[in-house]
Amino acid sequence: MLKVTLRGLMAHKVRLIATAIAVILGVAFMTGTQVLTSSISASFDKVFADVYASIDVVVRSDTKIETPFGAERTRMTDEVVPAIEDVPGVAAAEGQVVGQIRVLDRNNEPLVATQGPPNFALNWLTAPQLNGWSLVEGSAPMGPDQVVLDAKTAKDGSYAVGDNVSVLVTGGVQQFQVVGIAKFGKLETWGGAQAALFDTATTQALVGEPGKFDWISIAGKEGVSQAELRNEVSLVIPAGTEAITGKEFTAESQDAFQKIIGVFNTFLLAFALIALFVGSFVIYNTFSIIVAQRTRELALLRAIGASRGQVLRSVILEAFTVGFAASVVGVGFGILLAIGLNNLMKSVGFSGPDTPIIIPMSAVISSVVVGTVITLLSAVFPARRAATIAPVAAMRDVAVESVLTSRRRLSAGLVLLAGGAIALWFGLFGNLDSGLQLVGLGAFTVFIGMTVIGPVTAPHMARFLGWPLARFGGVNGRLARENAMRNPKRTATTASALMIGVGLVGFIAVTAQSIKVSTVEAIDQSVSGQYVVTSDGFGSTALPADVAIQIRALPEVETAAGLRGTFATVDGSNKIVIAANPKDLVKVIDFTDVDGSLADLTVNGIAASKTLAADKNLVIGQEIDATFLQGGSTTLILEAIYDTQFPIQGGGWLITTEEFNRLVPPAQQTDSSIYIELKDSSKAGIEAARPSLEAIVDAVPGANLQNLDEFKQAQTDQANQFLAIVYVLLALALVIAIVGVINTLLLSVYERTREIGLLRAVGMSRRQLRSSIRWESVIISLIGTLVGLAIGLVFGWALVKALADEGITAFAIPWAQLVIVVLLAALAGVGAALYPAWRAGRLDVLRAVSSE
Amino acid sequence: MNAPLVPPTMTDAAARTVNLSKVYGSGETEVKALDDVTIDFERGRFTAIMGPSGSGKSTLMHCVAGLDTITTGQIFVGDIDLGTLNERQLTRLRRDTIGFIFQAFNLIPTLDALENITLPMDLAGRSADKEWLDTIVATVGLGDRLSHRPSELSGGQQQRVAVARALASRPAIVFADEPTGNLDSRAGTEILQFMRTAVDTFGQSIVMVTHDPTAASYADRVVFLADGRIVDEIQSPTAEAVLDRLKRFGA
Repeated sequence: MLKVTLRGLMAHKVRLIATAIAVILGVAFMTGTQVLTSSISASFDKVFADVYASIDVVVRSDTKIETPFGAERTRMTDEVVPAIEDVPGVAAAEGQVVGQIRVLDRNNEPLVATQGPPNFALNWLTAPQLNGWSLVEGSAPMGPDQVVLDAKTAKDGSYAVGDNVSVLVTGGVQQFQVVGIAKFGKLETWGGAQAALFDTATTQALVGEPGKFDWISIAGKEGVSQAELRNEVSLVIPAGTEAITGKEFTAESQDAFQKIIGVFNTFLLAFALIALFVGSFVIYNTFSIIVAQRTRELALLRAIGASRGQVLRSVILEAFTVGFAASVVGVGFGILLAIGLNNLMKSVGFSGPDTPIIIPMSAVISSVVVGTVITLLSAVFPARRAATIAPVAAMRDVAVESVLTSRRRLSAGLVLLAGGAIALWFGLFGNLDSGLQLVGLGAFTVFIGMTVIGPVTAPHMARFLGWPLARFGGVNGRLARENAMRNPKRTATTASALMIGVGLVGFIAVTAQSIKVSTVEAIDQSVSGQYVVTSDGFGSTALPADVAIQIRALPEVETAAGLRGTFATVDGSNKIVIAANPKDLVKVIDFTDVDGSLADLTVNGIAASKTLAADKNLVIGQEIDATFLQGGSTTLILEAIYDTQFPIQGGGWLITTEEFNRLVPPAQQTDSSIYIELKDSSKAGIEAARPSLEAIVDAVPGANLQNLDEFKQAQTDQANQFLAIVYVLLALALVIAIVGVINTLLLSVYERTREIGLLRAVGMSRRQLRSSIRWESVIISLIGTLVGLAIGLVFGWALVKALADEGITAFAIPWAQLVIVVLLAALAGVGAALYPAWRAGRLDVLRAVSSE
Repeated sequence: MNAPLVPPTMTDAAARTVNLSKVYGSGETEVKALDDVTIDFERGRFTAIMGPSGSGKSTLMHCVAGLDTITTGQIFVGDIDLGTLNERQLTRLRRDTIGFIFQAFNLIPTLDALENITLPMDLAGRSADKEWLDTIVATVGLGDRLSHRPSELSGGQQQRVAVARALASRPAIVFADEPTGNLDSRAGTEILQFMRTAVDTFGQSIVMVTHDPTAASYADRVVFLADGRIVDEIQSPTAEAVLDRLKRFGA
């Protein structure tokens, strides 16, 4: 029996190519993703290990706040350093200050983009045991005007010792003299990051607070273990601080980064799995068709004594062999893909650390297992069908694929659809912790349900879509429609693969469009100003406080309101608190007072959004506790509850700028955006004000001046960028679906050899034959596309409804995009038919007409 | 030993071959499927081709019908030399000038009976001659079955549709390859009678390949092939005479 299987495999290898392609593509993506992300994270692990290599113990504050970027901690003084130095095992102890700045090039533009590696400001440590930086040239920084640059930044900006360099800091652009160039160990810099080193007092002034440190680094004497040293140090440090070993400290940084790259990895893996899911339809279809075409052969085997089990095992073994071999090839391609992407990222300027490719065994094994198992699962039903072929079928004429009776199929499909819809509904609206998983499961079930119903609905859709063909397309049009209808299961499965890909595209397109339209509407309805200044920096590198002041002083300007924010614990939960001057704010952005008056918010007051107030049952006059990480705690009075269309970032808390500045250190007193109301808001007035506004904004690196149209465009562009990435990732699933269409057509052409021969014998030209197959392909593609878009629209609608609270108020359908999708699908159908149609045209007419 | 040379001028043949040879393989493995065959198929007559398996009778028919390529010699359908035609012209010839009836799988399963009958005209983008179509349909007795799909028709009915299709476009010549091979004797007899009627009433030229002496007895003339050569022929054959002749092949 093994021999029969292997012979069968060899005989059908051409027909199994599509299966192999589907598996190879999906597995390659899966492996590539894992290899790339683990290579990147391994190289960053090494960077962190290098950076903190000289630190044996860290003492830091134990007060922290969790942000999406990791835990942030309160700064501390270095009063404890003498006590630590008295500990017997300690060789050196020194406070470290770390913050963000941006080193500028000679045109006053940031040397690296926001999306690039971080720009660190560090204090130059004097203890040689602790300072990993060594001067290549020049001297250590001393005093408020001196800076040491890392070798890479110096090279990129072509700065030499003695040059002046501009740096964007909280107060604005400041000039420093380059007094030294340093390397970190053997490296030019920390894994691609930009480092500017100042003396301690200067660093504190620029990015921290005077006299405060982020942590205290301790180096031990030789022979003292990190754990011993930590235990000894723990005894001398004051309350409110903690001591951890350098290893633990490194591991924390590594874990934080792993978490970020893990999200990225999961995101990409999701697309790999979607591709494999789509691929499973192609595999299923291939095996179904092969089994149908081999009915006689398999029946003969049964007739001469093969058991059902043997036939079943024979098909399963075939699937296993193909799945395993294709998975192994896929892993190979995946590794190549990772290498290629890694090089691509380097060549487009993502200057991360040098990334040696690491191939984790787990990635290889999981990819091979997933690829093989998916192939096996997809082949189980066809194999079972093969096993149930009666021996007598060998004596009958060509068998057709049987379709489960419509009624049972329809009810099974409807049950699945209903189940999927319920799961989706609870996932979206149920406020459950596992909402996202439930949504995924629901979507998956809906797709399966549609696939089960497919064979019932596909002929009707084919009849409907093919109507113009049959009416006006002559006999080849009629044949195309009939052929698309004749094998409902095959048509449906082929279309289903496309349906999933297109469904996701439609879903993303509708959601994105709704978000865009909602954003634009919100800006239209709520922003009454004429200009907006934004910055591509954040925190200490956002807009210096001075910018809003300068703008307000312009004669053309009526009001300018800057918005700033920071993480804080308010009323018991971590949220971003926004601050502005309330009197100015209400002039540039429309707010409705639900209770109290936002414009009259005082220094001791806080305002809450309507949603927040409803969630927390807040009432005016209530006391709200707020703790700012670097500023301390205060108690504020709830003075206003507001409502606005404006997509204000943060958790809904709003305080005055005055109070904000009292609570956070100067390094955080920057605006993230400034809204400007002009005195003359006519078109001419708006244009006339531009030059004087530009003069102020252009002097600030990373700042952009936008009128409202430009502002809306910029918001939309962001969504478009994300959209483009998602489309590229979904393209893989679509390619696999198209491979499926090609495969089905090829196998159908093969199956219809005699029929095609007959048509050719009675005078069908090759051109007519090709057009007939082409239209069949277009009909199948359109079925998948239209059903997919319909599902995508429904999913999108549901998500938009679920996001109503997040400010997504409009449900918008990007008609033009959807029409393009349909046209592309038709075009893909034409493309998919090229090879099968060519093959059909080449078939030997005689094979059809010679009797067997 | 020169073969009789027929000058390529107007003759009364619906189709004819001149010194036709078809060779498969070369050298040691060379097989002559047709060996210097020169034959006329007269206009308005019913010719049967017989011979043992492997005698080349099907190959001869496929070549004359423009379905198969030849090695040397000439084939004429009417006045047209098939050797001068390209793929596209051959397709058009098959569509417009030739009718086909095969042993099995004669119909397109996705088209109904009427659509199958008009298929060659539809492919050509012409509409069928309604009167003629009615005559044909009436002759083969399919009136109430025209909207049925092949799977809903019996074997005999399917073959009647095939006969109607072959006649519908008024081809210069109809080729039938074992048209009764898959049918029981009653259905087979019906088909042969229709073909006979077509020749007698409409002056249709028909060439039929068959194994069956009874089927051959419906023809005006039987040509015998053996080893790729024409070895004999009988005019106005009876089943007995054909059977006698066939027996001599075995001897």
